[in-house]
Amino acid sequence: MNSTAEATIGPFFPPRYVDQGANDLTVFDGRKAKGEIIEIHGRVMQEDGTALENLIVEIWQADAGGIYRHPADPRHAQADANFLGWGRAATDTKGGYRFKTIKPGALEGRQSHINFMVMFSGIMRILKTTMYFEDGNDPVLLSVPAERRKLLIAKNNEFNIRLRGENETPFFDD
Amino acid sequence: MKTIIRPRDERTQPARIIPGYPQTPWRNPKQPLVKRPPTLSELTGPVEMAKRVKLLGGDIAGHGDKQAIGQLIHLKVRVLDEDGAPVGGAVVEVWQANGAGRYIHPNDDDHAPADVNFYGAARIVTDESGAFQLRTVKPGAYPVPTKDGWWRPPHIHFSLFGKVWLSRLVTQMYFPGEPLNAQDRILNAVPDAAARDSLIARYVPPTADPYNALVFEHQIVLRGKAATPEQP
Repeated sequence: MNSTAEATIGPFFPPRYVDQGANDLTVFDGRKAKGEIIEIHGRVMQEDGTALENLIVEIWQADAGGIYRHPADPRHAQADANFLGWGRAATDTKGGYRFKTIKPGALEGRQSHINFMVMFSGIMRILKTTMYFEDGNDPVLLSVPAERRKLLIAKNNEFNIRLRGENETPFFDD
Repeated sequence: MKTIIRPRDERTQPARIIPGYPQTPWRNPKQPLVKRPPTLSELTGPVEMAKRVKLLGGDIAGHGDKQAIGQLIHLKVRVLDEDGAPVGGAVVEVWQANGAGRYIHPNDDDHAPADVNFYGAARIVTDESGAFQLRTVKPGAYPVPTKDGWWRPPHIHFSLFGKVWLSRLVTQMYFPGEPLNAQDRILNAVPDAAARDSLIARYVPPTADPYNALVFEHQIVLRGKAATPEQP
């Protein structure tokens, strides 16, 4: 890549917006969430396999009981008060990101999963995908063509994101 | 309380691969995006962001001997959902170049000068009417270092958290009457003219209050057919 071109076209998302601790979902408002602590991680690469540094990754997920801390969830009154479910990380020089979080519970009709979003220079529209811990009959997973579903299933909590090209991560039309 | 989410109209959204924006052919999917059935997971989202991230306020122009250099502006923005209803309590992240067209970012090694009194980042929560205000300086234009020789017009970036995951929006706002708007590859990646116009703020004629700042108004629609176009 031409690093000068990378340097000036932007967008230049302020580093300050990756707040200290924003990639640790196990603590909220100074208190510890319930459930099994896991570390999910992976690398983000562009079409030629180059790892991308300073790319922004966000996640959104249910708590250990499979409940979303949001009024649309009929069970939200029982949501873990110490778990927000959102996190943000920036990739390092090797394109790596890492989140410390709680393994999300399944909810009615859905397997355990974590929603992902990425934003970066050159990504014209934010890209959304979903990570699974195992294969199964989840309706969102089944909406993906069968031969590409394996790309959404993490291995030992490692979930790599390929923006384009060979093994391109399935992204959703949201 | 179930949120119904209607899709964006493709004509109002930018192309993903842009001539003269050399990162775009490497970083946007080649495969068609997958349509998925919306479930609770996508129709919920973080609602207590203000406890998770540090709010920075909307006054980033500085005061006294710490004032940023540039044209002082007040920007009044309203955030609406797809039915035109105000979205209160939404966290909005704003970032922009300084008056000379320079960002504070490790990747911006443009030759324009930094301004010690300007970082260029505001993080705000919308009020019950979906409104927020920004006191800042007008960002400068800057050249894009490709051989095509195009420039980014003055613009301000917004990252918004609506009420649900599907209403997450990242976009930009432009200024009215800027000759560079007509040649900007990112603004003009949006095919629909009315949608492009919706990215341009409205100029408000000066009055006695504020006596020292130009005022602009803008509106951002998070979802639906009238959704504000996404911008990187």
